[in-house]
Amino acid sequence: MEARCDPILELKDLTRTITAGSEAKVVVDRVSFRFDRGRIYTIVGASGAGKSSLLRLINRLDEPSSGRVLLCGQPTEQIRPSELRRRIGFLFQRPHLFEGTVANNLRYARPDLTESAIRQLAEQARVPQRLIQADAATLSVGEGQRVALARLLALEPEVILLDEPTSALDPGLTEGIEATFRDLVDSGGMTLIMVSHDPQQALRMGGAVLLVSAGRVAEHGPAEQVLNDPRTEAGRQYQRRQHDVDS
Amino acid sequence: MLTPDYTHVLYSLVLVLVAIGVTVWWRIPVTKEITLGPVRAFVQLVAVGYALTFLFEPGRSWLIIPVLLVMTTVGAYAAAGRVRKLRGAYVVTLVSIMLGSAVTLGLMLALPIIEFEARVVIPLSGMIISNAMNASAIAINRFAADMRSHRLAIETALSLGKNWREASRPFQREAVMAGMISILNFMKTVGIVALPGAMTGMILGGAEPLDAALLQLIVAFMLLSAMSITAALTVELTVRRFFTGYDQLRHDV
Repeated sequence: MEARCDPILELKDLTRTITAGSEAKVVVDRVSFRFDRGRIYTIVGASGAGKSSLLRLINRLDEPSSGRVLLCGQPTEQIRPSELRRRIGFLFQRPHLFEGTVANNLRYARPDLTESAIRQLAEQARVPQRLIQADAATLSVGEGQRVALARLLALEPEVILLDEPTSALDPGLTEGIEATFRDLVDSGGMTLIMVSHDPQQALRMGGAVLLVSAGRVAEHGPAEQVLNDPRTEAGRQYQRRQHDVDS
Repeated sequence: MLTPDYTHVLYSLVLVLVAIGVTVWWRIPVTKEITLGPVRAFVQLVAVGYALTFLFEPGRSWLIIPVLLVMTTVGAYAAAGRVRKLRGAYVVTLVSIMLGSAVTLGLMLALPIIEFEARVVIPLSGMIISNAMNASAIAINRFAADMRSHRLAIETALSLGKNWREASRPFQREAVMAGMISILNFMKTVGIVALPGAMTGMILGGAEPLDAALLQLIVAFMLLSAMSITAALTVELTVRRFFTGYDQLRHDV
């Protein structure tokens, strides 16, 4: 692993264009940003603004059309995909668990895990110990999301990308898993970058907010400021739209 | 022993009339197919009968290879038919069917189980190529469908640091198995549910049943070899097309 570099991630003029039929659409538009180590970042914005598309470029699940992502100063295209994705983990909106038990799922990520390491990971992701030998197919979505997180933690990533990780969970489960995320940053020194459709979640998580609009980072800063006192037109528009949704 | 001539074929038209009667009575909308079908079958089979008679003449074994190439090309085109959207599907099915058939036939000649003469090689190759074609078509369709419908599973594996081969392995196995399933099932039930084609043909032609059984056994092993090689190669040559050079699942295939 690299020395504890900072900033951990840098995006430079990152752009992704997709072609559907004969039309080309820019989904991520010249995004430049620096992510510091050990912080929480929440990406907010309207549906289709490019939040998830941006996230998928960071660990190169999708290929940027132009621009660069630097991990500890090293361009990610120079890092082997398997190493990059171990260092930058990704948690999907809905978890996919592989056939077999919860323990099998953790060992899928790291075959050399001992029993006690599995118990520790389960505890870290708040997966009840009784579920470790349970068939993964029998879990609820909330339990599944925690198992997916434990599986990700088995790889000891430096950065975790979260694509609306709580959108399928009820409020009680959401708060529980948010607390787990905060622990990972506070005591584990990880960097979390989370896409959320819920500004309240961004406020609860604290940290910084990136407001994405039409594929660009329209505004960024402390959560309180961007969401409650936006400085840009895109920020005010987003605030108004959220206000309409709430009322 | 059954030695049919055109009179027998004429009589057997009664069987076609029975089928037409059934479909008319139940108003099954297959009038065109059921009237044209027998005519097409007649023309195609009589033509192939004459063609084979010509090929089987002594001194014409040099024609075997070009005939096999034509059969393979047509078979590969049919196998790729339903996955046209997948770029290069035709090349994949052509190479897989060609290699699966060539290795199988080559082994049969080398061991030697058969001799290189048109009367033996061409009918056996027909069976090999048509079954390899089915194996290839089923494998490529199954694989493409699975890869498109299991994106989350594949991207989950990739995001856990697996490479393209590991991430798609379960679907590779399923597809190869799907391509082989008909011959595997065939061997389970052969002789119990029905007498297979080659054996039936030999018995009707006057051969001893045990000789017919032994030939049928060789045919079954031959198809097992051709279909497993073809199905595995089809998937092997297809899988990379679903990923970019940086282990990303392609959205455009």
